[in-house]
Amino acid sequence: MSMGHRNLAAGFVLLAVGIGFAFATGQLPDRTLPDTPGPAFFPWLIAFGLIGLSAALIVHGLITTRQRGEVFSGYRLPVRGWLALGGFAAYLSLLPYAGFVLASVPFCGGLVALYGERRWVIALAAAILIPVLLFVLFSAGFQVLLPRGVWQ
Amino acid sequence: MTGGLLQGLLQAIQPSSLLATGVGCLLGIVAGMIPGMTISAAMIIVLPLTFVLDPSVSIGLFLGLYAGGMLGGSFSAILLNIPGTPSAAATALDGYPLVARGQAGRALGMAVSASFCGGLFSALCLFLIAPRLADLALQFRSADLFSLVFLGLTIICSFASRSWIKGLLSAAIGLAIVTIGQDPVMGTARFTFGDTNLLSGVHFLTALIGLFAIPQLIENLRGIGPGDRGGPRRPGGPGGAVDFGGPGSPGGRNGSSSSDGAAPGAGSIGFRQLLPAIADLRRIRLPVGIGSVVGTFLGILPGAGGPIAAFISYDYAKKTTRRRDRFGRGAVEGVAAPEAANNAVTGGALIPMMTLGIPGDPVTAILIGALLAHGLAPGPLLFVEQADFAYGLMFSFFWANVFNLLIALAGLRLLVKVVAAPRTLLMPAVAILCVVGAWSLRNSLFDVYVMFGFGLLGLAMKWLDMPVVPLLLALVLGRQLEENLRIALTGSQGDVTVFFTSPFSALFLGLSVVSVIWSIAGARRQRAPRPSKSPGQRKP
Repeated sequence: MSMGHRNLAAGFVLLAVGIGFAFATGQLPDRTLPDTPGPAFFPWLIAFGLIGLSAALIVHGLITTRQRGEVFSGYRLPVRGWLALGGFAAYLSLLPYAGFVLASVPFCGGLVALYGERRWVIALAAAILIPVLLFVLFSAGFQVLLPRGVWQ
Repeated sequence: MTGGLLQGLLQAIQPSSLLATGVGCLLGIVAGMIPGMTISAAMIIVLPLTFVLDPSVSIGLFLGLYAGGMLGGSFSAILLNIPGTPSAAATALDGYPLVARGQAGRALGMAVSASFCGGLFSALCLFLIAPRLADLALQFRSADLFSLVFLGLTIICSFASRSWIKGLLSAAIGLAIVTIGQDPVMGTARFTFGDTNLLSGVHFLTALIGLFAIPQLIENLRGIGPGDRGGPRRPGGPGGAVDFGGPGSPGGRNGSSSSDGAAPGAGSIGFRQLLPAIADLRRIRLPVGIGSVVGTFLGILPGAGGPIAAFISYDYAKKTTRRRDRFGRGAVEGVAAPEAANNAVTGGALIPMMTLGIPGDPVTAILIGALLAHGLAPGPLLFVEQADFAYGLMFSFFWANVFNLLIALAGLRLLVKVVAAPRTLLMPAVAILCVVGAWSLRNSLFDVYVMFGFGLLGLAMKWLDMPVVPLLLALVLGRQLEENLRIALTGSQGDVTVFFTSPFSALFLGLSVVSVIWSIAGARRQRAPRPSKSPGQRKP
């Protein structure tokens, strides 16, 4: 996908966000005192700004997609990046149930493997030691109560 | 003032503050040296610590990290031709050719000396300018403050992106997010959708962790093959190369580096090799002066930052020397000018942060977050209500530069080995620390989810080549912007001319217009036909 197409797609998404934001702003309470800006005043300015700038991005996208000969290698998420994001989402879903240490061990192990560690002893040791050491450091050292989880 | 000055000095020389500053410098140098590890990421890692430390101790740690990170970035730039931070990219142009000629100690010595001078100059400027600017800022009324914050945002939008539309859109998204929660004047709940977690809004440190750390973690996964065990890599894109456009660039003839992360001759660098010769010191007088002035000035401007200052100083140093032909082939002036500049930026960036509460870059935004977490609001009142802390911060910054010099001279031989630190262990620890950092803010899993959401947003913005810095700055400044706008309009009973009748406000708004026009003109100039290349993602 060229940058022109990306601009176009993002412009439409942001336009929808801007319209949604304007709609939600319309639901906010009116001003409470005469001649004073109420709570909806600033969001209205932002909504207009978002809509206007999104429209400008769409126009910009339309112009750049028509330009020929655009050689552009845009940012693409690596396959391992998708896996890491999926793992992160699974980790966060598990966190309230399993607690910090139990949820972090498989996540950390997975990341160690994704970053290229093939020696399973080191990967296993890192997967266990990193979360445990951080848990001890923050819980015992800095009195930060990390998530415990309902299963614990 | 004198009382605050003395108290500040005493605060900065407390053993705990000095230790924290020294440790911060060491961590900063190490973090700066590791390619793919930014100063912001290092600060995010230590962020949870600051919630349990004394404000003067935690700010010392952060300032050490900031100053140390700038210096550390240049070490990997010189030794491996891999800039540890974007600010060090210009240093590699002449630093690496010197190493290739077997003069690693000379190059590093120049970098350390120039960094020290640049940092010290900016500390002096901070000390001289900040209190006076704070006095002036005390006279600002709501209309002036609104226009000032607006100017800060527009300058950042102009500098941060090649496309002014994307820069402004990024800021608009940030401003939209900042309206979530109770409004700053009347306390009305907005866009909370009945969720109590949203009543207090989105904490900008949560956003910052997600926006910077998660895309960084993903970026470091790029190019890892089955046999890769996470040695040092080149940052900056799919190929991992940062194109400097010079003969010493990675794509140039000197672009190779040893695979184990150790530069040729780096292991034998001792204290004596690092001490600059008198002839070299004479040569770098002017470049260091140029770098210090340019760096401090550009540091004051929000959004300009180290990379711009370093390249401008390099260019000026090249134009003002007789040995112009040696630039790009190992001129000590070409190492000294950018190094002085990128370290001078740190002190410059602290000036608007302390006096006006306006962060110039993500690092100073984190500093503001750390101060707010301790109930200290940066701005002109900091010098009135917490003068001892304000002066203590300045003295800590001075110590950070001294520690940088001492640590670099004494421990460089060991420090260069850190460049080969395995990512396989470092990055998973960073990922878990992101969760710990987001959780520690309010002991809430909601913040952790918000952090992850911002990570996805950061990746989407990267995909679109949209800068994240304006969004971040909008998150920091948004409430201030709205509050001052509404108070000014309430005071003038809805009369918008209040923003043009006040001289300060009119000046700031005029400068905002200039910065937007400048940005649009710059974008048009860039549209001139030239070979296309992949977008250089600017790192914090």
